[in-house]
Amino acid sequence: MISSVADQQNLDQVRQRVFLALFIALAVSLHTFEALLPNPLPWFRIGLANILALTALELYGLRAMWTLTLSRIFIGSLLLGNLFGPGFLLSLTGGLAACLLMSAGAVLLRRGIGLVGLSVLGASGHVCGQLLIAEWIVVQHAAIWLLLPAFLLFALVSGVLNGFAADYLTDQLLRQEAFAACRKSFGPASAEK
Amino acid sequence: MALKALWRRTTRVDRALVLALALLSGFSLWVVVDREPGGQVVIYRGEEVAYVGPLSHDRLLNIHGPLGDTRVEIEAGRVRVLRSPCPRKICISLGQVWKSGDLLACVPNRVVVRIEGEEGRGYDLLSR
Amino acid sequence: MLNRPLSLLLVIGLGLLLLWSQRDRAASEVTRTALIMGTLVEIKAVGSDENKLEDAINNAFDVMRRVEAEFSPQVPNSAIARLNQTAETSEIPSSVRDLVELGEQVRLESNGAFSMALGGVKELWAIETENPQVPTREQLEAVLPPLDSPALLLDGLIARRSSTLVRLDLGGIAKGYAVDRALEQLRDRGLRSASVNAGGDIGVLGGHAERPWRIGIQHPRKQGELLATLEARDQAIVTSGDYERYFERDGRRYHHIFDPRSGQPASGCQSVSVVAPSAALADALATAVFVLGPEAGMRLLEQRSEAEGLIVAANGEAIVSSGLKERLQWR
Repeated sequence: MISSVADQQNLDQVRQRVFLALFIALAVSLHTFEALLPNPLPWFRIGLANILALTALELYGLRAMWTLTLSRIFIGSLLLGNLFGPGFLLSLTGGLAACLLMSAGAVLLRRGIGLVGLSVLGASGHVCGQLLIAEWIVVQHAAIWLLLPAFLLFALVSGVLNGFAADYLTDQLLRQEAFAACRKSFGPASAEK
Repeated sequence: MALKALWRRTTRVDRALVLALALLSGFSLWVVVDREPGGQVVIYRGEEVAYVGPLSHDRLLNIHGPLGDTRVEIEAGRVRVLRSPCPRKICISLGQVWKSGDLLACVPNRVVVRIEGEEGRGYDLLSR
Repeated sequence: MLNRPLSLLLVIGLGLLLLWSQRDRAASEVTRTALIMGTLVEIKAVGSDENKLEDAINNAFDVMRRVEAEFSPQVPNSAIARLNQTAETSEIPSSVRDLVELGEQVRLESNGAFSMALGGVKELWAIETENPQVPTREQLEAVLPPLDSPALLLDGLIARRSSTLVRLDLGGIAKGYAVDRALEQLRDRGLRSASVNAGGDIGVLGGHAERPWRIGIQHPRKQGELLATLEARDQAIVTSGDYERYFERDGRRYHHIFDPRSGQPASGCQSVSVVAPSAALADALATAVFVLGPEAGMRLLEQRSEAEGLIVAANGEAIVSSGLKERLQWR
């Protein structure tokens, strides 16, 4: 049996879809898991699922990252039962802002940025998006911004940690044959796309 | 050793971004801490401001007006007029105020005390 | 392959921008106070140009000071003071004429409950001074002006007191008039959202930016508490209460709203709040209703379709006019 280039492309596409679906499932489980963690502040999220968003970005590109993030927010909220509730709104704006910043970083700083940097951008967006919506709709009180310094610090730490985790994960994944078609898009030792 | 391995996973841009966020975090802390929590007490003598201070600051003030000294007390987050040289002592009978927008006034001695702040109190204007 | 995410990015970015722009954009509220007509006047204005707001407010205060100069019996050369000093005719400005005509209308409608002629009675009680006193019946009868005549006889802009017993005092209507003139000034200066509060006599121009102005009515017996609140746009609300200016003697409380029939403080109500298109009208009606008491007072209010009111009777019972029932939110 001779495999043609077209077949190979088809195979890669199917692989991408399957793995993206798996990543989404993983992201959803992380999303719901962290919603159950004890948290002094209601409705605010840590953003563990971003590890997978970064992985999707690295392996499959921007579109995959957006797909993954939006899917896991909606599916996760459906599972948690708070679709369109305040928790959902906060996740959504946090996720959207994170994706925006990460997209900007991926496009503008393509040469030179790594997963840690992207993750830090994403974490900052996540935090600011949540505070914005929290002030505007949920709490309606400017005092919420008093939390900004603590949140930014938290974004820093979680961003760096998530970045390392995603970098390690992608390294491991890229050693597998199933991901032979992908290349490292960002970070040290990444080839020119 | 593990730290070095981690370090190798970052790029120069990454490190710059982390530094930027750390600085932003520190800056926002400075900005936030600089704000005075709670309401402000503003006392006018006629048209000019005689005193501005936070509601949380206990003080005893003497405001000098055309009839004499009006004594204003800020204590435990509330403000009231203790003594005043006016004939009717209406300002004293107004009691304590503490909510944003509340007013105390000794009209004959031209002393006005206002509480300014962010919290709403359910209405904009009081008809009395 | 990068086009789709990029355009999606743009759309979402625009969407967020749209959301962001919905927030209260740069609308600031400027509040200034001044001591005019023996009371604390507070003017609030909402808009985007703070300098414009401040200028307009200062002009409004000036207008109110001019009203005080014209209508106060204490100011030596005011039209009112001059009329009080002579039995002869005197020329009055059209503003005084207009206000006197309004007052006379309310006097007729209220069967004399509202009077602009009680300056002598007020002086007898000396309620604004350090030594108020309780006059005897004889003393009061000596200064009470005749009940069924207007305070002033008018011929165009020439006026004369109808009797030497009349001492003009427009205290029950001039503050409201000052509020109206201040609002007019603010409107002329291009403001669309403002309020004037002269010691509880309130007039509002437009609403408070996007929403109406929320007005609280003082509880007549519980200091620092509200009786009710209501929302208003382009209206005036004036409250007359027995708790504002009073003194106590021998266990009895004497306040400053006098019944023109007896010269004694009216005892039918604790407080009356009137909502009307102008503050001058609301002021006059509030005084009239207070003197008339709950039943006759409510009848007077229902007679005037453009006026509504809330009466707290002497026994504490609250009565609301038909048009106001749905607007009030009780506390």
